Amino acid sequence: MADNVEEIQKSIKKYLWIGLILMVFTAITVWLSTVELPTHGLNILVGMIVATFKAGLVALIFMHLNHERPIIYKVLAFTAVFAIVLFVLFYFSKQDPLVFEGFYSIPE
Amino acid sequence: MEIPYTVHARPDTGLYNAKIGIWLFLASEVMLFGGLFSAYIFLRVGADYPWPVWDLDVKLGLINTAVLIGSSVTVVMAWASLKLRRFGQYKLYMAITVLCAGVFMFNKSLEYSAKFKHYAVKLTDGTILTGHLPEDDHHKTIPYQVKFGDITALSLTIPVKNSAVTADPASYVVPHLEGEPKFKTADGKEIVLNAASFAELRAQALAKAAADKKDSASVQLTAVSPLKAAAKPADIFGYTETTITFRDGTVATGKLIDDKMTLLVDGIDTRAVAQPEKSLAFDQRYLAAWQPTFVANRDHHIAEFEKHFPTRDKSKSATLQKESLFLKLHSSTPPAAGEAHGNKHGAEAHAPAEGGHGHGHDYPTVVLEKNDVTFFSNFTPKLNTYYAIYFTLTGLHGLHVIAGALVLGYFLVFNGRMMREDPEHLANRVEVGGLFWHFVDLVWIFLFPLLYLL
Repeated sequence: MADNVEEIQKSIKKYLWIGLILMVFTAITVWLSTVELPTHGLNILVGMIVATFKAGLVALIFMHLNHERPIIYKVLAFTAVFAIVLFVLFYFSKQDPLVFEGFYSIPE
Repeated sequence: MEIPYTVHARPDTGLYNAKIGIWLFLASEVMLFGGLFSAYIFLRVGADYPWPVWDLDVKLGLINTAVLIGSSVTVVMAWASLKLRRFGQYKLYMAITVLCAGVFMFNKSLEYSAKFKHYAVKLTDGTILTGHLPEDDHHKTIPYQVKFGDITALSLTIPVKNSAVTADPASYVVPHLEGEPKFKTADGKEIVLNAASFAELRAQALAKAAADKKDSASVQLTAVSPLKAAAKPADIFGYTETTITFRDGTVATGKLIDDKMTLLVDGIDTRAVAQPEKSLAFDQRYLAAWQPTFVANRDHHIAEFEKHFPTRDKSKSATLQKESLFLKLHSSTPPAAGEAHGNKHGAEAHAPAEGGHGHGHDYPTVVLEKNDVTFFSNFTPKLNTYYAIYFTLTGLHGLHVIAGALVLGYFLVFNGRMMREDPEHLANRVEVGGLFWHFVDLVWIFLFPLLYLL
């Protein structure tokens, strides 16, 4: 934790820079979404990579996760495991696919 | 009793207690939003319609992203200022943070209200028309109503035993009738139908049903003079050419006057139509004049795509499908030939669906036959799964913004004494509130691209 005056004064500059970087990457996200990549899935992937990078900056710098006590990392490790399970859940649905003809199908 | 370890770290954890508390809370918040993001994936993978992309007002979403990032900077600056005992700066940064929350929610309300006023109408061939309902001279929306005339009789059924539906004409029928609801009962008595007069009729009918050992009682009323009725389709149970069934089961006999829907069309989405240029939207009664514009716009976008990506499969490009088959209308009459796409290419294709509703914009008005409409809704959760998850996620996120702003605002307004006497304690409070605020920002970092852009 940044606790002494000198360190905090240094980190103030850092916070402003990170804010600026986040703004720039937001603009990049918008621009990237207009680029026609081979598949839209790739657009989503690239967009999510940029978003994860931005989220990482917020968590590491603004939320001070780059220098925290071990107990917080232990709590978050559990959270990460359960959150990942949530996101692989939909893979199980592929084992039991629902096949139906929607009224809204892309024309040939 | 004093709460321990609010300022100094607890020896075993190395942290003050509130910090452990907020991180445990944030861990549970990760699971809450994680579950909803997981639901988003399920809904998107399983959607049987083109998932909306660039359907919301991107400019507004971008402004809100900047506002939240800015407030994330100011809240961490507020904490740092407090650590350095610069109280004036702390107050300023905190005030800006709370102000940012206000701006964010104000923009959100603009976005929501635009969606509530915007309608999508699905036609029988799969075409979707988007647009607005007409407005009266005072810019008040005229709701879509089914109109009945010559109502001569009401038939009410009252189940003897408890039932989910029981006749309650005072609440479900009378509000939709025009003029004084004067009726004659079966024994020739003239009444004004209201809660009191119906209670009397109901008691008589139930007594009669009990005497006859029947399961339900019925009441027949004849209008003294023919009545008119008007109701939104959602407020009634159903109707035919000659009857209208209200939500309490009461059936009125009359004549259907009008169930056509007037729509100021701002978009024609033909992505679900086998032959888009023959869409029902281009029927002579509707928007036949726009068909050349549609074809020109479609061919232009397909040619552009073929020029830039000659080897790619056109049917697999969601962007091309939207640009070529979802025509946005910006004027009441079609542009002259050759100007169909004009300089609006790109911008037009990505324009938010709501447009400017009414003011400054003119749209062609169509009067849709009921037989041609299979479904209509404003842009609310019932429209499709995208809007369902959009409102769930942004609504929950908005609640978090409000909660965070309340907490940070409380520190600013009510903790002045703590700031002067025990600034380290307040700094810890601000750090904890700030951690929550950063989390709210972090969620938005994912929400913005997922709901607005991709």
